[in-house]
Amino acid sequence: MSERRTWTRRRLLASGAVGATAGLGGCLSRFTNQQNENADLSISDFRGSGPMVESRSAPGGTSMDDLPDLDGTLQVYLGGGEGGLYENLVRLLERKYSNFTAKVRMAPSTQLANEIIEVEKGGDSSADVFWSIDSTSLGLVADAGITTELPQRVVKPVPEGFRAGDRSWVGVAGRARSIPYNTDEFSESDLPNKIGQFTKNAGLKGAMGWAPTYGAFKSFVTAMRLLEGPEKTKQWLRGMQNQNISRYPDEFQVSNAVADGEITAGFANHYYALRVIASRENAPIDLAFTKNDAGALVNVSGCEIIQGTDQKELAADFVRHLLSAEAQEFFATRTFAYPTVPEVPPVGPLPTVDKLQPPQIDLSKLSNLEPTLKLMREVGVL
Amino acid sequence: MAASDRVRETAATFGDDGESPPVSLVLLAGSVAALVAFPVVWLVLRSLEIGLQQALDLLFQPSTLEVVTNSVALVAGVTLGSILIGVPLAVLTVQTDLPFRRFWTVVVSLPLVVPSYIGAFAFVSAFGPHGVLSDLLAPLGVESIPTIYGFEGATLVLTLFTYPYVFLTTRAALLSFDGTLMEAARTLNHGRWAAFRKVTLPQIAPGIAAGGLLVALYALSDFGTPAIMHFEVFTQQIYVTMWEPNHAALLSLQLLAFAAVVLALENRVSESEEGAHVSRGSGSVRISLGLWKVPALLFCALVATLCLVVPVGILFMWLTRSDPAYAGGGFDFSWIYGLNSGWVALLAALAATLGALPVAYLSGRSDSRLATLFERASYVGYATPGVVLGLALVYFASSTTPEVLGVELSLHQTIPLLVFAYVVRFLPQAVGAVRSSILQVDPKLTEAARTLGESPGSAFRRVTLPLVKPGVVAGAALVFLTTMKELPATLVLRPTGFETLVTYIWRVQDAGYYGQAAVPALALVGVSALSMLVLLKQDGSLVRREGGKDA
Repeated sequence: MSERRTWTRRRLLASGAVGATAGLGGCLSRFTNQQNENADLSISDFRGSGPMVESRSAPGGTSMDDLPDLDGTLQVYLGGGEGGLYENLVRLLERKYSNFTAKVRMAPSTQLANEIIEVEKGGDSSADVFWSIDSTSLGLVADAGITTELPQRVVKPVPEGFRAGDRSWVGVAGRARSIPYNTDEFSESDLPNKIGQFTKNAGLKGAMGWAPTYGAFKSFVTAMRLLEGPEKTKQWLRGMQNQNISRYPDEFQVSNAVADGEITAGFANHYYALRVIASRENAPIDLAFTKNDAGALVNVSGCEIIQGTDQKELAADFVRHLLSAEAQEFFATRTFAYPTVPEVPPVGPLPTVDKLQPPQIDLSKLSNLEPTLKLMREVGVL
Repeated sequence: MAASDRVRETAATFGDDGESPPVSLVLLAGSVAALVAFPVVWLVLRSLEIGLQQALDLLFQPSTLEVVTNSVALVAGVTLGSILIGVPLAVLTVQTDLPFRRFWTVVVSLPLVVPSYIGAFAFVSAFGPHGVLSDLLAPLGVESIPTIYGFEGATLVLTLFTYPYVFLTTRAALLSFDGTLMEAARTLNHGRWAAFRKVTLPQIAPGIAAGGLLVALYALSDFGTPAIMHFEVFTQQIYVTMWEPNHAALLSLQLLAFAAVVLALENRVSESEEGAHVSRGSGSVRISLGLWKVPALLFCALVATLCLVVPVGILFMWLTRSDPAYAGGGFDFSWIYGLNSGWVALLAALAATLGALPVAYLSGRSDSRLATLFERASYVGYATPGVVLGLALVYFASSTTPEVLGVELSLHQTIPLLVFAYVVRFLPQAVGAVRSSILQVDPKLTEAARTLGESPGSAFRRVTLPLVKPGVVAGAALVFLTTMKELPATLVLRPTGFETLVTYIWRVQDAGYYGQAAVPALALVGVSALSMLVLLKQDGSLVRREGGKDA
């Protein structure tokens, strides 16, 4: 533990300095940008900051420089988007390619998916690319039959688990389900490594928290329903209620409550704990992962191309850019997400993707939420 | 009562000669009502796509019944709470010798400018587990404080940020209330309380009911506050079924059915309102508070602290905290968003006022069923959750492309469609304000103009309109400031790239970067506060005008 605390403090000190330098660098490159037709952005423009990031070696994968230039105007519908971080990446692309403009429309992912579907029904399409932070809304739009098949060259760098079998969408960043726990109260060995055990462990009674109305949690329950069947899923939800689990409106609050000691462990996406660590010195929080079950689900943020677009080529090249070494490094170091291109490693104390043991599941199926909501309502969780 | 009966009769018949309202006015009011009720037609159509059995299953499943109970409890609690806070404050600031009355009038109206979701965030930040208050109390050995979450918290927060509706409408009713009636009652040996109960209360009941209606429908359609306070209600159920638009539509209809019940209840209370408003206010009657001055001042100060000091204080705390959970995010704030917010809010205020005039005039001058129907129809959109309304309009706009002079005009993602949505949502606020000032204008004045040879239209323009101007401006100000705060419909309908203060607040807060939300939230509160001052100033001129007439 003490090793990690030092790491956190040093990281924070360093991040200030690096941030200042990066800011200055950004201004300078923006200044020189005006003379260049294509601005020369280096990997450091895409990278976040901090000691772990500094010591990272150059990411593998295909560099943007080896991809076709982006040229033209693209309507990007962005579901969610990490408070503007995703949009920042789009603006970096605009800086790199002076002939490229992206019109970004940002709203909650499900709402935007519904908007796209309603508009397509009306026959007046304006979206070229739908980039959503969850596969549920991607599946929702794909199921409506209004996406086009992504070219093979676009999806090739991404392992099969992180893209749709019918190439309707491809994942650009991953989010793992995890168990954030308070390191003052628990060690990793105190926590079960199977999700089913959490309902039976007496030591966890009154100690856990979840956010059942949060989208990521509903995807997790859907995965459990698909893997274990509805009856066992209901039993699990009831079991957790019998453990007197506390409710929160979102998983950042679950993770904060863990670090506060309000609860000792919770169910949350992995990056929230990293954000808690980044925001407070010595936050007593770490992550555990279950194995081969819904508790270890890795969900993705991904892209699909909308059928009605007249910008198919540009849209495909845009998605390829999101899968480039530079963009993947951006997701890893600035949003703490899992890169979906295996040549780019995740950040900090995270186990690499191959150490995680996610369940075998078709992520597109996670869009089938209605039965999940039904069973969650039946047991009184929703 | 004979006087008020006579007045009602006069109002009902559009003049002593038994003239019925002009056909053009009825048509105009009818088309406004039809226009704003249209999204509900879409909901009905969508709901019909569900089979009957499935619909019944959905409506009667246990969890639906639970959210129904929760919603009804919340609406009742918030409405009652708003009346308990709003009415005493109105009486104190209008009819008593409370020190600094003008100051308190402004201060206790201001909570209306704080979006209730920001209020909820502030309350969780301040009074939630590990919030500011528990951090302050921890060194004193206080281990835990009662939880702010759940029914109590949701009711408290919604009450604190919606009671000004009751305050403002009750205040308006009190200002036009003839104080000499009260004096007459007291000379007949009624005690102060008995006089209030027997004379004042029946006179201001329609005003209270009008404010209570706005509060109840707001509580019914609000999504953010109950969600933040961990209390599950209708709107949340609608949100989780969003990817099944038919189900969401069905639930919305169920919600609208409740709104209809609320509207009917309010209508019964207001039945006798014509008598209430026509009398002239006399600003001269002042009840002396005596020893009650201190508790009265404490009450005002407590409300102001909870509604203004807490949220603004928390926003300043977010602003000054620099750790990455508060700062960070990647999207810079630009003052353009403030201009965008102000611009669409101004358009919405203008459009809503224009739409409100015929509906309010007809309903204020005629007792006919049709007039009542039109007025009530204008409330339907107000009770519809913003996101449901937004999607209805997206569908409409993208399937309808009218051709004008050979050019196809798509309304999809345009400012006119966005402004239309605001009008649908907030028209009743303008109708209410305009209507009550029309009720205060003696129809005889218009008649006089008619006998002098003016046409009905020009009589309205030259006589009625100048007299109802304060109500019109107040209605516009109210629409302006609620539009500034509106989030869900704005997110669905705004043109791509068109960011407003609230859409910016949404995107940084959604990702948890609270510090980034502080500046736009403070700007929002500041700009709305200015429009609130316009609203109160109209009130003031009303008092002066009426007072002058008396003198």
